[in-house]
Order: sequence, then structure tokens, then C-alpha cells
Amino acid sequence: MRSIKTAYVLLIYVLLYLPIGVLILYSFNASKFSTEWKGFTLMWYEKLSSNDGLIEAALHSLNIALFSSLLATLIGTLGAVALFRHRFLGKKFLESMVYILIVSPEIVMGISLLMLFSAAQMPMGFWTLLIAHITLCVPFVIVTVASRLANFDQSVIEAAKDLGAEEFTLFYKVVLPMIAPSVIAGFLLSFTLSLDDVIISFFVTGPGYEILPLKIYSMVRVGVKPEINALCTIMFVLTIFVVLLSQYLLKEKR
Amino acid sequence: MKLSRFARFSIALLFVWIVLFAFLPQIMVLIASVLSKGATDFILFEPTVQNYARLFDPIYLQIFVDSLVLASVTTLLCLIIAFPFAATLARAPKAWRPLLLILVIIPFWTSSLVRTYALIALLKTKGLINAALLFLGIIDAPLELMYTQVAVFIGMVYTLLPFMILPLYAALEKIDVRLIEAASDLGAGFWSRLMRITIPLSLSGIIAGSMLVFLPALGMFYIPDLLGGAKNLIIGSFIRNQFLTFRDWPFGAAASMLLSLMMLLMVALYAYAQRRERA
Amino acid sequence: MKKIILAALLALGLQAAQKELVVYNWSEYMPESVIEDFEKESGIKVRYSTYDSNEAMYAKIKTAGGESYDIVVPSTYFVNKMSREGLLAKIDKSKLKNYANLDPKLLGKPFDPKNDYSIPYMWGSTGMSYNAKVLGEGAVSAWSDLWNKEFAGKLLLTDDLREVIGMALLSLGYSSNTTDPKQIEAAYNKLKTLMPNVKLFNSESPKGVYISEEVVVGMNFNGENYMANTEMPELRYVYPKEGVLVWVDSLVIPKGAKNIAAAHAFIDYLLRPEVAKTISEEIGYATPNLAAVKLLEPETAANRIIYPTADDLAKSEFQLDVGEAITIYEQYWEKLKTGN
Repeated sequence: MRSIKTAYVLLIYVLLYLPIGVLILYSFNASKFSTEWKGFTLMWYEKLSSNDGLIEAALHSLNIALFSSLLATLIGTLGAVALFRHRFLGKKFLESMVYILIVSPEIVMGISLLMLFSAAQMPMGFWTLLIAHITLCVPFVIVTVASRLANFDQSVIEAAKDLGAEEFTLFYKVVLPMIAPSVIAGFLLSFTLSLDDVIISFFVTGPGYEILPLKIYSMVRVGVKPEINALCTIMFVLTIFVVLLSQYLLKEKR
Repeated sequence: MKLSRFARFSIALLFVWIVLFAFLPQIMVLIASVLSKGATDFILFEPTVQNYARLFDPIYLQIFVDSLVLASVTTLLCLIIAFPFAATLARAPKAWRPLLLILVIIPFWTSSLVRTYALIALLKTKGLINAALLFLGIIDAPLELMYTQVAVFIGMVYTLLPFMILPLYAALEKIDVRLIEAASDLGAGFWSRLMRITIPLSLSGIIAGSMLVFLPALGMFYIPDLLGGAKNLIIGSFIRNQFLTFRDWPFGAAASMLLSLMMLLMVALYAYAQRRERA
Repeated sequence: MKKIILAALLALGLQAAQKELVVYNWSEYMPESVIEDFEKESGIKVRYSTYDSNEAMYAKIKTAGGESYDIVVPSTYFVNKMSREGLLAKIDKSKLKNYANLDPKLLGKPFDPKNDYSIPYMWGSTGMSYNAKVLGEGAVSAWSDLWNKEFAGKLLLTDDLREVIGMALLSLGYSSNTTDPKQIEAAYNKLKTLMPNVKLFNSESPKGVYISEEVVVGMNFNGENYMANTEMPELRYVYPKEGVLVWVDSLVIPKGAKNIAAAHAFIDYLLRPEVAKTISEEIGYATPNLAAVKLLEPETAANRIIYPTADDLAKSEFQLDVGEAITIYEQYWEKLKTGN
């Protein structure tokens, strides 16, 4: 039983990483347009190194993803706990809005936010992107955290409360540790959503703040360049490196 | 009950954000959905219900039905694939769990367009999957996977899987192992433990995951178009077309409103069913 | 963390302070070297911003009133639409020393009869491609050949309603810019019988699909075929007998642009023969600049895929804005895709 489980988990991991493997392989492929193998080359990495626009866009994307997912996790987690713990006016309204936000097509969110921002005369760029991405992510955090809270043992909270814990202490010392896995999950989901969003970003970004997905998607006219494969490979390798390093450092600490 | 300052802060934060950046824009969409399309302007201020009436044309109903089927099958496939995976992860050694979890997510930090092109390289007739299967002697002739429904499902499940895995993991991780051990000691078999303990206790995660997969699946258009050959219209591309290609914003807004309404109805039905079950 | 916030604030502040030319174009549709040379020469900083479809660009320009772009590159009938709706500023041709380099055949077209609003940047056509290795030479010569039953499940159409319905209209002997509902309906009925042949609709990258041999025949853009030929010499490009669809991507200055003078300087720079030559060679589409064509390798300039002869373009049509009739096109397009 145990080995079947391990094999299954391994299989899923292999499938998840298979397309990434393909893309790494093609970042070394001499062919420019097709997926046929035409020999090994480092040409795309060379071309990438001189493409400042692309590198800048990638950094912008990471910037936005990091900030928006952190803030969305904050707003979403506090909100989910409040929705779970308290009854208040407008609770049903907030809950409905969360579902509407998840279902509403990206283009609708994008265009309605564009209308809002232009009505408010806000210059399009970093801030509008940040706001839009937070709005996109908050509902995902709420649903993830709420699912963890759903079967929560209320008596623990009541007990802590009887012992005189302040609401904030309660949250910080009792609730947060119990919901931590879902908070992390919500953060990861947000980061993923933000990093890959195209449609909403398109409408709320300005010329001063280009992000990577927009660059990639607007390449359709001449075809997505192999430099993108090279860039994605580098980003992928860096993430793996950072993750393994942090894992190692955590172990050391223990 | 009087709310503490902390609770009021949490609520106010969410409330203000939702009202400003979600409710207000959504109201604009609602208003747009009952206005008319202009020849040069996107929206004319002439109220009409025509946009909603048009949605009940058989063509558009067909689009809705096709999209619902696509999203439902995708959700089911994700659930079946993700459940045993998340369950195993939730029982992995504690020190390993964060790493295992983040390994699920990392592939999704690469642009989905780029990953979809990689999937095409895998799935096409002369692609790597066919080459591998032919080499292993499992098939004699290459399978035609690209531009079929199969390719669409592969792409959808691949893209949305983490949205199922993460909430499932969060719910399953919370189940007390001793409960399952006790059941096992009392002679409960694998299936009865699964049906009577694991699933009921992780129901909230199953529902959260299903929603996080089903709802985005409904609005998805890039993946079905690229992998399926864009031969069918689904609601995501339909609404996008209304806004961009056809520039009929009011009609697109009406379709989007109907979509939201359907979803709210489903969520409400579910809540109602649950309440009745409890009572 | 603080540093990143600071950097973000700084970037925002700088952006407002420095004088910049904002170019809104398709991604990778202008070589970096061309932009850098212009910056060095003129001292004007260029901000290159990108979009992925005419429609999305149009929605953004139209809705975001406060936003200002100095140069945009819409395709054929969007020039017509945008100028009619007053979204474009007039271009002062007296400031363009290199205007005379342009091919007269590509000027004064119906979408902008006097070129008051648009200056051609790149042009190309939507015709047919076929795999000569699989089908043999001369397998198709007319749009109507696509209906051949032997092509069942082997055909590619572009994912663009105007192009696909336009192609069917041409095959019936009508204009691809018709506004007559009966003709559009006839085209729809004809397309319905083509559906069993269609393997996919794709406008993103037809060349990849042809190269992988998932399809052997269908519609294609000339530039895509030309680029595919570097890896697949047997892919032939055909100018269909009934006429090919021609499009031009043009440089325009939107109304509300802040740097009108710099925009003119940039357009004039792009019209220089050497610059236009570099762009054409890098991007793989044809330049409307005759002086630049003369500088090209003779082999490239003689390539009929990129630079067609007058005969090839005999019955060619430019796509025009069809006005309100577009809703008729849309209805039939939706019907075609839902199989009703």
C-alpha cells in the first residue's frame, strides 16, 4: 500500500514537471519555430542577456506577484477569520461578492477596473496593477482559509477566551497556528495567479510598467521567441535553488 | 455581541476593499448589461432588456451547456487525481510537507502560455508522448491527441490541478490520524474508512477545491482554444469576444451577470442542502 | 523589502519626470537595435509597450482616456475605424523627409485615402499554404480547392471571423468587404460544408502547426510561411485565384499624444531605407519602403512569398471596416462555431 502511494505521488510530480522539462530542453534547441530537435545551442541565452526589456518585465512581474499575494493573504486571512467568527451586518453581502469575484470572467474584471481607474484619473502602472491583482487573489485566499476553518473546534477559542485572551492574541496565538497550512496555501495560490495573469493586467497596466505575461502573449504575431524558454528556464532553476536553500537553512536551524 | 477592535479592523479592511474594487465595478457591469450597444461608443444610455432576452437563443444556451460540461468533467477529473495525492502528502513526514507542497506549485510559476506550448510539443502526432508509446511498443500507430477533446481535458486538468490539491491538503492535514487508526483497529476496511471518515471530514476542502477549479474552468478560454483547435465556443471565449472582437459590451456584461447569478444559485442551493442535512 | 518599495516609487516618479516617447505595438515587432539607435541619435527615451490583438488595443485606447500613447500600430481596417471615431491625430507629412520612399501601391488605400492618419509600417497577405511533400506540387490554386473531400480533418483556418468569412465570400465571387446579408449568409452556408475538413482554427502561430504536419493545407499568413520555409522548404504559399486578403500595419498618432514632434521624428526615422530594411529582415514581413527593398538581398526581394508580383495581387482586397454589418458576420461566426 505504502509503495503504491509513493509511486502515485511520484508519478503526479513527474507529470507536473514534464512540460517544464520539455521547455528546458527546447531552450537549448537550435530550431527557432518548431518543436523538432535541430541541435544544441546556447544562442537563446545569449540573445536573452541583451534583451533588457524582457528581463525588466520579469522583475516587474515578480515584484507585483510578491506584494499582491502578501497583501491579499493578509486581507483574505483576516477577512475569512472574521467571517467565520462573527455575525455582522453585510456578512452575506461579503460572502456573495467573494463567489461573484471568483466566477466573474477576467475580462469583465479587467474592463470594469479599467473604467473605475480611468474615472478616478489614476495613472496606470504599478499601483493599478497591484490593486487589481489583490482583488483577483483575495477571494481565493478566503475560500482556502474558510475551508480549513469550517470544521474548526470552536471550543478551543472559547476556552482561550474564558482564560481572558484578547481577540488579537487569540488570533495570533490560537487561530493562526491552526490555520497556517491554509494561509500558506492561499499565499501560494495568489502568487501563482498573479504571476500568470494576462487579461486583467492588460487593461490596468500602463506603458511605464510592463510585466512578463503581457510581453509573452503579445508575441503571438511573430511567434513566441525561444528566448522566452531560456528566461523561463532561468527563473525555474532560480526558484528551485531558493526553495532548496531555504529548506536546507530551516533544517540547520532545527 | 460587541466586536473587538481587531475584529472591526479585519471586517472593515475586507469590506472597504470589496466595495471599492469589486462591488463598484460589478455595479457598473450590471448597469452596462441593461444598456444598448452604440455604433461607435461601447455603451449607449438607452435602457433595454434585449441583452438578457438574446441570451436565451438556442445558440447561446448551447454555449452555456457545453461550458458547464467542460468545467464539471474537469473538476471531477481534478478531484479524482488530486485526492489520493493530497491525502498522501498530508501524511508525509512533517518536516517534508512544506517542501512537497511548494514543489506542487513551482511548475505553475512558469507562464501558462509557454507551458501550453510545451504540452503541444508533448501531445502532437509527432510529439514526445507518441514517440515514447511507439518506442515502448504500447501502440502501433501514433494517437491523434492534438485538437481533440482529450487534449483539452489534459490541458485543463494540468493547469487547474494545484487549485484542487492545496485546499484538499489543508483540509486533510487537519484530520486526526488517531481517528483513522481507531477505525482500522475496530475492523473498518479501506473503503469504509474513506467513505465514513476521510471524505466527510475533508468535505469542506473538497468543496473549496471543486469551486476553485470549477469556477475558473468556466471562464477559461486560452487552453481549450489552443489545444482543442478553437472549433467550439465556450463561455470564456464567448464573453471575451463580446468585449473585444464584437465590441458589444452590454451583451457581454449580460452574459457575465447571468454566469455570476448561476454560480450564486449553485452556492445557495448547496448551503440550503447542507442546512437541511444538519436539521 | 523597503528597497523594493523605494525602487517602485522611484520608477513611478521618474516616469513622470523624464520626457519619453511611448510606443504601443505588438511585442517583438520592432528590433531592439532600431529603438536603441533612435534613442542615441535623438536623445529621446522610447517606452515600448505591447498588446496582443487590435481589438484589445482599441478597447484600451478608447476607454482609458487619461492614458497617453504617442505611436500605435493598428492593422488595416482599425485605422479606418479609429480615424472615423476621431481617435487619431493628423500626421504632418511635411515633417517626414523620407515619406517619398514608400511604395505608392500601398498608399492612398480605401482605409485612409490620403494617408492623413496612417503611415504604412509592415504589410502582408493572408493566402493559402500546403505541404508539397504530402500533397504534391500544385495541389491547390484557389480558395475553392480547400473544399476538396480529400482534405478531411487536415485543414487549418485562421481564427478570425473577417478572414474566414472573407475567404468564403471570395470563393463565391463576392467581395470580402460585403455588407449584403444574403452574400454573408451564402458564405456561411458554404463554410458549413467546409467544417468536416477543418482540424483547427489558429491565428497565433500557424507555422508551428504546418511544420509539425498536424495539418497539410489551409489558410496562412505570408510571413508565417516564409519563416516556416527556413525549417520546412516544402511548405508552399499560394495566392488564390479568387484573390488574396491583404493587410497593412500602419503607424498612427492617437489623439491626446503628448509628444507629437517626437512621434513625427520617430516615424521619419523608421522610414529611412536602412532602418526599414533592418526591421523587415528581423521581423520577416515585407516593408512598404521601396528604397529599403532595393537594399535587401536580391534573393529576399525576389521572394514571391514576401514580395508578390503584380499578378499575384491581381484580385487582392484590403480589409475594410464594414460598419454595422459586422454584427451579421458575428452571428454567422457564432453559428459556425456552435455547429448550428
